[in-house]
Amino acid sequence: MRLVVHNMLQCHVKGCNSNNFPLRLFDVELEIHEIEFNPQFLQSLLPKLDWNAFISTANQIGITSLPQTLPEEIDEDFLKNLHRILFETHIMQGKMVCSNCSHEYPIKEGIPNMLLNEEEAEEEAEVEAEAEED
Amino acid sequence: MSITPIKAFTEHDTVSLTDDKKEQKYVHDVYQAIAPHFSQTRYKPWPVVEQFLNSLDIGSIGADIGCGNGKYLGINKNIYMVGSDRSSKLIEISVSRGHEGIICDALNLPFRSECFDFVISIAVIHHFTTFERRFAAIKELFRIARPGSYILIYVWALEQSNEARRKFDKEQQDVFVPWVIPADKNNQDKKEIIYNRYYHLFKKGELDELIESTGIAQIVKTDYDKDNWYVIARKEGSENEIDKK
Repeated sequence: MRLVVHNMLQCHVKGCNSNNFPLRLFDVELEIHEIEFNPQFLQSLLPKLDWNAFISTANQIGITSLPQTLPEEIDEDFLKNLHRILFETHIMQGKMVCSNCSHEYPIKEGIPNMLLNEEEAEEEAEVEAEAEED
Repeated sequence: MSITPIKAFTEHDTVSLTDDKKEQKYVHDVYQAIAPHFSQTRYKPWPVVEQFLNSLDIGSIGADIGCGNGKYLGINKNIYMVGSDRSSKLIEISVSRGHEGIICDALNLPFRSECFDFVISIAVIHHFTTFERRFAAIKELFRIARPGSYILIYVWALEQSNEARRKFDKEQQDVFVPWVIPADKNNQDKKEIIYNRYYHLFKKGELDELIESTGIAQIVKTDYDKDNWYVIARKEGSENEIDKK
C-alpha cells in the first residue's frame, strides 16, 4: 500500500466519526518499487491530498524530507522526491491504528484488511429503517 | 454453448439465513473458492468502462468498488485508481499485477467522504440480497465521491439479449447463477464443481430509481450494454475548481 492510498483511508468502526483520520502507522516494513516518473500527473494529483495528514504520516515512518506546507513554487526536485515517497514507497507489513477508538487494521503483503466484525460495523439497513421512522 | 439453467433464489434454499449470511454463502465464499478460475475469464475491459476511465482529467484519483482481479485499475496511466473488494483472493490477484487493493465491504467503505474524483462499481451491486442493502451500497459509492464528480455503475439485467448464454425467467429477479469449474481446472479431485452465486437481476429503470432516491445524484447517461444496465451519474454539489485544469 502506498501513502497516497493511506491518505484516503479513515476508521469506519460504528460510531467512530471524529479524529478517525489519518490512521497511525505502526511496525511498518517498507519496500521501494520504482515506477516511471510522470511530473504532470503528479502535479495534477497533488491538490487532492490532505497534505497535513500526508506529512504527519510520512514523519511517523521516518520520512522527514518534506515541507510542512506545500511550497508555492513546485520544482522538479520537489516532485521527484514526492514521487519516491508517494508512489514508490510501499508499506508491505504493518498496522494502522485509529487515534480515536484504537481499532487496528492489519497490512499484510502490501494489502490492508479493512473488514470489521458485526459489532464493529455500521448496520446500514438498520440505520435506514431508523431514518424512515423519524 | 448450451443454456445454463438458472434456479430461483427461493425461501426454501435460504430460510434460516440472515441477509449477510446469504451473501456470505452465495457470494463471498463462492468468489473465494473460484477466484483463480474467475480471474482467468475476466480480462477484457468493457468499452464503455474503458471510455469512461480514459475521459477523466489527468491526476484524477478514483475508486473501483468491487474491483475483482483489478481488470480496470491500470487502463489509464494518467489517473490513479484504488481497488477494493470483499474477496481477499481476488485482491491478492489484483495486487500481484501491481495494483492497489484493499479488502473491505462495500456496505461500509473505509474511505473518507468526498475523497475521490470518480467512482466505478462494475457488476457488484447485484450481489446484495435486499433493496436496503443495495441502496446502502449505492449511498456509499456517492459518499466517497467529490461533489460534481461522476460515478459509473453496472449491474446485470433481467432482460437478456438473444445472444446471451443465460436465459432468465422474466418474473424472477432473485436467482442463483451457477459458476462451473471444469474437471480439468479443479486440481483437488478432478471433478466438475458447480457453485451457485446469488444475483438480483435489475429491471429496466430499477438502477436509475435506486440512484435517484439517494437525492444527491443526477443521472447523466443510462443505457443497456451487453446484458447489463449501466448508469453514469453525477454527484450533486459544485465542482471543485481544481477539477478543471
